[in-house]
Amino acid sequence: MRTTTKIASVALGSAALLPFLGAGIAQAADGSTMATLRPVALNGVKGSGTAMVTVTGNRINVTMAANGLLPDNPHAAHIHFGADARHECPTASDDKSGDGTLNTTEGGPAYGGIVVSLTKTGDTSPKSGLAVDRFDTAPGGKIQYERGSITVAPEVAQAIVDGKSVVVVHGVDHNNDGKYDGATKSDLDPSLPTEATDPAICGVLAAAPAGGMDTGAGGTSTGTNEGMLALGGGLLLAAAGTGVLTARKARNRA
Amino acid sequence: MSTSTRFGDRRGTIAAAVTALLLLVGGVLVAKALTGPGAPPQPDRAQGTQATRDAAPTPGRSATSRPTGSSTPSPAAPSSTPGPDFGPIMGPSSPVSLVIPSIGVRTSGLVDLKVDRNGKLEAPTDFARAGWYAAGPTPGEFGPAVIGAHVDSKSGPAVFYRLGSLKKGAEVSVLRRDGSTARFVVDRVARYSKADFPTATVYGDTKGRAELRLITCGGAFDQSTGHYVDNIVAFAHLTS
Repeated sequence: MRTTTKIASVALGSAALLPFLGAGIAQAADGSTMATLRPVALNGVKGSGTAMVTVTGNRINVTMAANGLLPDNPHAAHIHFGADARHECPTASDDKSGDGTLNTTEGGPAYGGIVVSLTKTGDTSPKSGLAVDRFDTAPGGKIQYERGSITVAPEVAQAIVDGKSVVVVHGVDHNNDGKYDGATKSDLDPSLPTEATDPAICGVLAAAPAGGMDTGAGGTSTGTNEGMLALGGGLLLAAAGTGVLTARKARNRA
Repeated sequence: MSTSTRFGDRRGTIAAAVTALLLLVGGVLVAKALTGPGAPPQPDRAQGTQATRDAAPTPGRSATSRPTGSSTPSPAAPSSTPGPDFGPIMGPSSPVSLVIPSIGVRTSGLVDLKVDRNGKLEAPTDFARAGWYAAGPTPGEFGPAVIGAHVDSKSGPAVFYRLGSLKKGAEVSVLRRDGSTARFVVDRVARYSKADFPTATVYGDTKGRAELRLITCGGAFDQSTGHYVDNIVAFAHLTS
């Protein structure tokens, strides 16, 4: 009797949980993306970083942290996207000039053009792509960046959510002399050395995980144990029954 | 035995044998149910159960990092300053093993995990292995590295069976492929309903700190879906 009540209560308990299961988590369209920023091939940067971009309609919020960059020099940072780009960070084979380094143009086939300029203040359009006075200067080689409510074109918002955009932080020091210099001019702005605009660290913005994980099969859950307890109890009761029977038979015989 | 020999009754002997068998099996089952692994431990309230929901996931305002003093960034740093203090940060290197002494976890051969079509992080197919979110930061790098493992299999405890009893201040070590060890300390352990999972708190921005999330299942087990209804998440940050 007690066993029955217990089983019934267990069954009722799990039935009560049922309504909540339908309310799934699958909100992939919440548009939260993350990029792990790693050194760009060939450019000799030891740094790394992380960027998060949350898309809400045509607005994005961006946070970024990085280290290992050339300290106290402006680091242009952008979100890149090109419909016909590979949507990835450039590799050594993108060094079309064969000079042993990758400049921003050489990275184009991998990550596309600039679609958002991650400036600290003011305009964030591609026009501000080289607004060196409004980018982080990486004190101590580190960047901590946060900017909310940047308006982007619908196709850019979509590209970010779809994992097709790439965060690139520019500015390297090929000759390790602590400043942007060298004879080679920037492919983007001939008034700057190429060191000032070459890509330093890079990462593809991919959908961050959303919702929980299904990490258990229930082998130790309370429900199973209750079942075991109920079954064991039932068997013990049955044993009592057969035991009584045996004893009675024995007495009758005697 | 003595009863049956004394009375020499075959049916009595069978009944006695059945009784003995029932007693044995029943007793074992009851004992197993009472003393067995039982339900996995759940984090207690003091560890921050469900208290920390992210109502509005504003970037940089996620409740994940609660630096105790040291990692407050210096605002508008002049060029001579050391820049923002992220605490220790390691370069990228994938994890090979995980050790959590206080709950007896020592597991190697971490598998790569990826997100499924619905954006959810897939669990390891092997109940005896932990997995890590390989598209995210490696443990020790910037941001929240994620390691997940099962609390149990169909037959018994699995790798993260005791995760719910992990306490604030506990040490977590991750050995990495490059030979280095990322050492973390637990900030808190929380239980969240999967139906209302605080995605931004768990996977979101850490204000630059290198952090770690350990995830398993918790709460009630739903027989009809074959899944637990909650997740247990341990939050930790890199110390060295």
